Amino acid sequence: MTTLLTPLSTASQWGARLRDPRYLPVTGTLVALLLILVVGQLRYSEKRSFLSMKLFSNLLVDNSYLLVLAVGMTFVIITGGIDLSVGAVVALVGLTTAKLLIGGFPLWAVLAIGVLVGAAFGTLIGVMVQYFDVQPFIASLAAMFLARGLCNVVSVESLGIKHEGFAALAAWKLKFGEGRESWSINLSMLIAFAVLVVAFVILHHTRFGRTVYGLGSGAGGNAVALMGLRAASTRVWVYVISGTCAGISGILFALYTKSGFNLTGIGMELDAIAAVVIGGALLTGGGGFVLGSATGVLVYGLLQVVIAREGLQSWWTKVLIGVVLLGFVLLQRTLSARRSRAT
Amino acid sequence: MNDQQGLGPSPVVEMRGITIEFPGVKALDGVDLTLRAGEVHALMGENGAGKSTLIKILTGVYQHSAGTVRVAGKDVHFGSTADSQAAGISTVYQEVNLCANLSVAENIMLGNEVRRGPFIDWAATRRAAREHLARLGLDLDPRSSLDSHSLAVQQLCAIARGMVVRPRVLILDEPTSSLDKAEVAELFRVVRALRDEGVAILFVSHFLDQVYEISDRMTILRNGQLVSEHRTSELSRLDLVQAMVGRAGEILADVSERAARVAAAEHDRTSPVLTAQGLGRPGSAAPFDLDLFKGEIVGVAGLLGSGRTELARLLFGADKPAEGTLSVQGDTRSPTPLVSLRRGVVYSSEDRKKEGIIGDLTVRENIALALQAGRGPLRRIPAKELDEVVERYLAALQIRPANPDALVRNLSGGNQQKVLLARWLATQPKVLILDEPTRGIDVGAKAEIQKLVTELADQGLSVMFISSELEEVVRISERILVLRDRHVAGEIHNGPDVTVDSVLETIAGRAS
Amino acid sequence: MSAPTAARAPRAAAPQPRRPSLLADLRRVTRHQLFWPVAALVVLVLACGVYSPGFLDVTIKDDHLFGQPIDILRQSVTPLLLGLGMCLVIATGGIDLSVGAVMAISLAVSLTYIDATGPGTGTALVAVAIGLVTALLIGAFNGFLVTALGIQPFIATMILMVAGRGIAMLVTEGQITTTASPAFKSIGSGFVLGVPTPVVIGAVVFVLVTVLVRRTALGMLVESIGINREASRLAGVRARGLEWSVYAICGLLAGLAGLVYGAPTMAADANNIGLMKELDAIMVVVLGGTRLDGGKFSLAGVVVGSLLLTTIERAVIIFHIPSQVTPLFKALVLIIVCLAASERLRKAVTGAVGRLVPARPQEAS
Repeated sequence: MTTLLTPLSTASQWGARLRDPRYLPVTGTLVALLLILVVGQLRYSEKRSFLSMKLFSNLLVDNSYLLVLAVGMTFVIITGGIDLSVGAVVALVGLTTAKLLIGGFPLWAVLAIGVLVGAAFGTLIGVMVQYFDVQPFIASLAAMFLARGLCNVVSVESLGIKHEGFAALAAWKLKFGEGRESWSINLSMLIAFAVLVVAFVILHHTRFGRTVYGLGSGAGGNAVALMGLRAASTRVWVYVISGTCAGISGILFALYTKSGFNLTGIGMELDAIAAVVIGGALLTGGGGFVLGSATGVLVYGLLQVVIAREGLQSWWTKVLIGVVLLGFVLLQRTLSARRSRAT
Repeated sequence: MNDQQGLGPSPVVEMRGITIEFPGVKALDGVDLTLRAGEVHALMGENGAGKSTLIKILTGVYQHSAGTVRVAGKDVHFGSTADSQAAGISTVYQEVNLCANLSVAENIMLGNEVRRGPFIDWAATRRAAREHLARLGLDLDPRSSLDSHSLAVQQLCAIARGMVVRPRVLILDEPTSSLDKAEVAELFRVVRALRDEGVAILFVSHFLDQVYEISDRMTILRNGQLVSEHRTSELSRLDLVQAMVGRAGEILADVSERAARVAAAEHDRTSPVLTAQGLGRPGSAAPFDLDLFKGEIVGVAGLLGSGRTELARLLFGADKPAEGTLSVQGDTRSPTPLVSLRRGVVYSSEDRKKEGIIGDLTVRENIALALQAGRGPLRRIPAKELDEVVERYLAALQIRPANPDALVRNLSGGNQQKVLLARWLATQPKVLILDEPTRGIDVGAKAEIQKLVTELADQGLSVMFISSELEEVVRISERILVLRDRHVAGEIHNGPDVTVDSVLETIAGRAS
Repeated sequence: MSAPTAARAPRAAAPQPRRPSLLADLRRVTRHQLFWPVAALVVLVLACGVYSPGFLDVTIKDDHLFGQPIDILRQSVTPLLLGLGMCLVIATGGIDLSVGAVMAISLAVSLTYIDATGPGTGTALVAVAIGLVTALLIGAFNGFLVTALGIQPFIATMILMVAGRGIAMLVTEGQITTTASPAFKSIGSGFVLGVPTPVVIGAVVFVLVTVLVRRTALGMLVESIGINREASRLAGVRARGLEWSVYAICGLLAGLAGLVYGAPTMAADANNIGLMKELDAIMVVVLGGTRLDGGKFSLAGVVVGSLLLTTIERAVIIFHIPSQVTPLFKALVLIIVCLAASERLRKAVTGAVGRLVPARPQEAS
C-alpha cells in the first residue's frame, strides 16, 4: 500500500511546495520559462523542433558565465546587499588571465590567480560593508571603479589568448548526437553546473547557508546575532563568495571569447541582478534560491533566443528584460503585501 | 531580605550585590536576585528600574563591576552571551528575535542542528525540532516558515529554541507584550510545564494580572536598587505597585496650586473640544470613550504598557483607529497626523529621538516643521514671520542655547523637549497631547514644563498629560484617566483627597 | 561629514577669548562641509596651472570665451544637471539609477522629432519640449513605482536603467539618428553673450532648483523625510507627494542633461549617450558632502562636486596620465570619501585625537 501511495504523495507535496508563498516567485519564473518554451515550440518548429538538447546546450554555452555570476549575486542579495563590481571584475580577471598567459605563467597558476583576484575584490567589499558600515551599493561601486581602473592599467587593448593549454580547455567538449541535432557539453557548462551544485549545497545544507538567509530577515541581521550565529563573518563571506564567483566567471568569459578586453562586462552586473530578481529573489533580502536564479538566467537567455528568432533587433532584449523585471517586481510586491496583511 | 530562604527549593542562580556603572550613572547598585529550580520568579520595576540591565548581566551582555554571580553553587563571571548559554541560561526576548523567513525547524535548531559532517541532517533536525515543540505541547510542521504562524506561536518557537540546550534557567523578557488573552494562556501552560520539570524561570512583564497568575516569587527593583523580594502570594497588588513606583513619601509640592486650579476649573462642560466614542484598535487599545473640554488638563496614569501611548496615538491618528468615532468640534474625518494637525489636535511622542526631533535640522526648522506641514510644501512661511515665531518660543520656553541655527541633536534632552513643545504650540492647537514630556530631563526643566502646561490650559488649551510620574499627574491634572491592561480602568476627579496612593489603588485594581 | 556643520554656529556665537580669532575663523572654515572638496578643486586646478602654463588662460575669440577653464565648466554641466536631481532623490533616502538611460531617451525623442519635421527653430523648440516632457513622465513613472507601489528605489529605477536604452533604440529604430538643426545644436555648442550655452543652462537650472527648494519649504521637508521619516509623518509631513515630485524633477533634469550633452553631435547614439552617467551623478552628490543615507543636502556641493569630477578627468590628460586610469582615481576618491563618512572610522580617529585635544563642547550633550 505505502509503496503505491508514495509517488502520489510526493507529487502532491511538490504541488504544495509550488504554491507555498516562499516558492511562489520561483513558480512564477518556472511558469515564464515554460511559457517561452511552449511559445517557442509552437512558433519556431517548422524545420526542426525548437525544444531540443541543442537549444539548451547553446543556451548554456552562451550563458554559463552569467549563471556563475548570478549564483554569487544570489548569496549577496539574500542578505539584502548588492554587488555592482562583478562586471568590472569579470573584465579584470579576463585581462589578467590574458596578460599572465602572454607573460608565460603556468596555466594552473594563472587560473588560480584569476579566481583569487575576484575573491580579493569580494573581501574588500565585505570588509567595507561589515566593518566600516559603508552601504553595499557604494562599497561595491567603489570596487567597480577600482577594477575598471586596474583593467585599464593592465591593458587598454583587447588581448587575444593564444596559449595552447588554454585553447585546449576552451575547445574541450563532449559531443552527443549527429549532424544538425548534435549537441555538446563543454568545460564552462560543467564548471557552472559544479558552482551551482556547490552553492545549492552550501545554501541549503550548511549552517553557514541558513545564516545567510537569516541575515536577510531584517533588522540588520540582529536576530541572527542574538541566536548566537556568526553574523559578522557570514556577511563578509557572502561578498567573498560573490567576488570568487566573479573571478570564476571572468575565466569562463575568457574561455568563451578567448581574449581579455577592458570594456568587457559593462552592465553585466545588471544582467546578473536582473536574472536573480527574475529568479524570485527579494532585493530587500531574506528570500531567493540559486536554482531560481539559474532559472532566471535561462529565461534571460531564452528571451534573447526568441528575439533573434523573431528577427527583432537586439535592443528589444533590454526592453523585454525591463518589462519582465517590472512584472516580477510587481508580483513580489503583491505577494509581500498579501503576506504582511496576513500576519 | 530573603526571609524565605531555606524554605523554598535550592537556589540555581544567586546574584549578590550586583553593581554596574555606565558613564555618569550607577545603573545597578548592590542588587540581589535569587532564582530557584521549579519556580517562576518575576522581576518587577518601572522603566529605568534596572530590570533589563540585570538580565543583561545574567546573559553575559554586560559585565558587572561589583558583586558575585553563582550558578548551581559555583562562582561564575560571564564574559559573553556564549558563556551564559554554556552555563545553562537561555533567554527569550520581548520582540520575537527569530528569522521570520526561515522555517520553524531552523529557527528552533539553528546553531544546535543535527549534522552529518559539515552538512545539516535535515530529517534528524526536523525530528528534533518536532520533539522540542511537542515538549511544549505544540504540533507544528517544522518545514513551515515561521512567518506563516501567529506571533504567539512564534514566541513559543522562541521558547522551544531556548529549551533546546536544556537550560537550568529560562529568562522570559516581556514575552506577552504582543499576545492576546488566549495566546497568553497557551504560553502560561507551557511555562508551568517547564517549571514543573524543574527549570528556574525568570519572568519579566508589566502586566500585573499575568505576574500574579504565573509567578511564585518576585523581586522588585527601583532606580537601580533592590526594593524587596517576596512570595507572590504574600504581597498585595497595592504594596507591589507602591514598591515599584516608590511611595510618595515627600509631601506633594504646590498642592495649593492644584487646588486653586481645580477650584477655578469652571469649564464650559456642554460642548467638548474632542469626543471619542468607542475608539479602539485591536492589540493596542480597547475601545474607549472620552470627552475633552476647553482649558482642562486630563492626566493619564497607568503602568508602562497599560495602553497610555496607544490611546494617545489613536486620538492623534498616528495609528489608524480600527473602530469607533472621533469628533473634533464636529469634524468627524478619520484622523491622520495632517488632518489632526489642521484641526488643532497635536501629539508629542514619548520617543523624542525616534518620533520627535529631526536631529540634523536646526532649532528653527524643527519649530517650523509642523506649521509648515500644515501649510503644504509650497507656501513657505515668510522668513520674518518665522523669525518672530521662533524668537517668541525661544524666549517663552527659555530654550538654551537660544540660537535658532543650532542643530537640535546638540541640545540637551530638556531643551529638545521644549523645541518639540514649541513646534506644536506654533500651530496654535486646541488640543495638546503630551506623552511623557518630562521623561529623562532634569528637575528644573521638569518644573518649567509643568508650569507651562498649566499656563497653557489657563489660556484655554485642552491638554492630555501622560506621565509615569504620578506625582506630576496628580499635581497638575483636573481629571485623571487610569489605564490598566489597555483598558480605561477608571476616571478620578482630582481634588484635595486625591493622592498618589489613591491613584495607585486604581492602577493596581482589585486592591487586596 | 556632518559634525563640522554642527560645530559651526555655536562657535561663531561664542569665540573663545584666549584663542586668536584668526585661528578660530580658520577652524570654522575648515569645518565647513564644502571645505575639503573646494580645497581639492583649488589644489588640482593650481597644480594643472603650474604643470601646464596656459592652463588657466581664458581667451576671447569672436566675442566667445575659450580656454581650459571654460571647457571644464562646459563639461561639468552634464554631471551638474544629473547631480542636482540625484541630490534631491538621495536626500529623501532614495536613489535613481535610470538617469543615464533617461538622457538617451530624451535625446532620441527630440532628434527623431527633428529628423521627421525639419531643421527650423520652431521645430527645435518643440523638440526640446517633447524631450523634456518625456523625461518628466519617466521620472514620474519612477516616482509612481517608489511611492505608490512601495518598490525599493534601487530596483524601481533599475527597471528603466535596463529597459531605457532599449526604449531609446526603439525610438531611433536602432539607428544612430543624425540630423541637422542649428537651433537645437546651439543648445550644446552655442554661446550666450560669449559664455557657452551649456554653462548658461547649468547656471540657470542651478538657480531655479535652488529657488524651488530653498524659497519654498520643499528642501526642508525633503530633508526632514530623509533624516527621520516617522517623526516627519507625526509632524504632518506627507512624504508621498514630495518623493514623487522629487523623482519627476530628477527625470526632467536628466532629460535636459541628455539634450545638452547630445546636442553638439546631433547624433542620438542610444547605446552610448549617458552610459554610466548615473554613477557619476551619484559620485558628484557624495563628493559634494551629501550623505547617501539621506537627509541634509547641499546643491552648492553638487556644483563643487561636478567641477571636481570634471577637473580630475581633465587633470589626467594634462598630466599625461593614460586617460583610461581615470576610474582608478574615481575609485580612490570614492573610497576615501566613504571611509571618511564611516561612523566607526570617525569614532576611532576622534577617539585617538580626543586624547590630544579636549572634547568639543557641542557634542557633550
